[in-house]
Amino acid sequence: MEPAVEVEGLSKTYRVRIRTAGFSGALRRVFAPRTEDVAAVAGVTFRIEAGERVAFVGPNGAGKSTTLKILSGILHPTAGTARVLGLVPWEDRRALGYRIGTVFGQRSQLWWHLPALDTYALLRHVYDQDPVVHRERRDRLIETFRIGAIVTKPVRSLSLGERMRCELVASLLHAPSLLFLDEPTIGLDVTAKAVIRDFVRERSVKDGCTLLFTSHDTGDMERVCDRVLVVHRGRLLIDEPVAALRRRYIRRKVVTLATVETDVTVELPGVTVRERAPHRLVLEVDTSVAPVEAVVAAALAASRLEDLTVEDPPMEEIVAAIYASAEKGAPS
Amino acid sequence: MTRAPALDERPLGARHSSRTRVYLAAATIAARHAWANPVEIIGRGVFLGLLLVVFSGLWRAVPLGEGAPDARGLLWYLAITEWVILSLPLVHLDLERDVRTGDLAYLLPRPVSYVGVRVAEHLGTLAVRMATLAPVAAVLATLLAGGLPGDPRGLLLAVPLGVMAGVLGVITYASIGLTAVWLQDVTPVYFVWQKSAFVLGGLILPLHLYPAWLAAIARWTPFAALLHGPGRTAFGFDPAGAATTAGLLASWTALFAYALHRIHRAALRILDVNGG
Repeated sequence: MEPAVEVEGLSKTYRVRIRTAGFSGALRRVFAPRTEDVAAVAGVTFRIEAGERVAFVGPNGAGKSTTLKILSGILHPTAGTARVLGLVPWEDRRALGYRIGTVFGQRSQLWWHLPALDTYALLRHVYDQDPVVHRERRDRLIETFRIGAIVTKPVRSLSLGERMRCELVASLLHAPSLLFLDEPTIGLDVTAKAVIRDFVRERSVKDGCTLLFTSHDTGDMERVCDRVLVVHRGRLLIDEPVAALRRRYIRRKVVTLATVETDVTVELPGVTVRERAPHRLVLEVDTSVAPVEAVVAAALAASRLEDLTVEDPPMEEIVAAIYASAEKGAPS
Repeated sequence: MTRAPALDERPLGARHSSRTRVYLAAATIAARHAWANPVEIIGRGVFLGLLLVVFSGLWRAVPLGEGAPDARGLLWYLAITEWVILSLPLVHLDLERDVRTGDLAYLLPRPVSYVGVRVAEHLGTLAVRMATLAPVAAVLATLLAGGLPGDPRGLLLAVPLGVMAGVLGVITYASIGLTAVWLQDVTPVYFVWQKSAFVLGGLILPLHLYPAWLAAIARWTPFAALLHGPGRTAFGFDPAGAATTAGLLASWTALFAYALHRIHRAALRILDVNGG
């Protein structure tokens, strides 16, 4: 079977002007500009099979967005080859456009003052869909994403989570074989994130749609994807199943307790105090030693809780650990 | 589901009808979007009314010299030129925002022309603004000028010329907007263009009241066709002059559409190299 994405030695170098401050710097920029080459992507090679759900993670400036732009045909690479659904993206952008979908968490393709249904009607023309096929698919997606009650309201009146569900439907209407998701859960609350993750995964499983998912949120990676590509400074550091990455690097959770009592102590093996303040205790839990349930039970026994949050460590910390271990030549 | 073949794989006729449908759909949704935001329409109507009130008072008080049309004619002239200018959507700002915020990343992978869809959308907005501002301009000009122009048949010609001028305005603003790929901020270019249009187009006074040398220069620019042409037609029935203006508007529109096409292609090449 043809792979969904096949990338070999992909590189992208930007030539940027060196800016110097002051009036003399401004003159120099005009008459003797100096430039330097910045490698955004540096020789990346990977392959994604059809139907796979792959997280593409890394800190800011790692080269994720540049790679996605190359794969969606917006950018030319400086070197290397790429085939997406059998097409060379930068040569066959328009043909590829019918077969890929994109979701950008900080952008919107919905018309602000109109209901999402109107945008869907426009997209039918953009993707030249048969009206009957479009209606059937649209109605099925509306049901799946449970947006029947909101799809007729102006987009400006929707919450961010509701709007993102409408955005996802817009990106899936033309039944893309490959969906690029760039931080689709950014800014959402915990519940909305969970809903989006479930819907995306469910649609991918049902349609066989390949996902390439970039995020700073380890939860997105763990709950939606089966495989993870970690990039850092334009290079591919890790390509392995999410379960393996979890075992090796995501063993910690951050538990924050807001308590009625001023001072609370929770002592368990594998639990260290990260931050202590009146009515507030932040714990770091090594889940391979102490399960989160045990920590919560101990906290409940020791105090009256007003609030409790359990978070994954930030992606930057995980990538830093991966990078450190890669430099040492062995996993930590 | 089987996918539709890409547009470029189809016979020429099918390609064109499909693209026309996309552009019509884009114009329609933008028109509905503009209609769904009445505050902006009302704001523009109020501003148009304010301008007409101020200038009707001014022209009654200031003698304009020999050869000038009467105050009624001037007010109808202004009603038409301001109707065109205030109906123009700020296409350049949307295109600049697409480039600066990276929204292009959403729009470019679609299997349609980015700039084609953007222009179609703004033509839809233009249609709503022209349709809603025309009655405001007509009623206020009638009330303030004390009636219709001397030969009201001129108005019948001025309206289609105004619509043609609106289309030219959208195309030129889109050309300015796409320069954001190089400039990032298109405000200086827009500023120069807008002020030139006001001065050389004769926004508040017909060009034949200008010094001869300046009027001669202005007539070689697109601004004269954009504003003076439709405005002049409003207060004097002149089918031959209107036909000349229509020809000039069509020529300038074709020229700027070609320029827009070339700028779009050059911009895509830059984006290919430097990113969206």
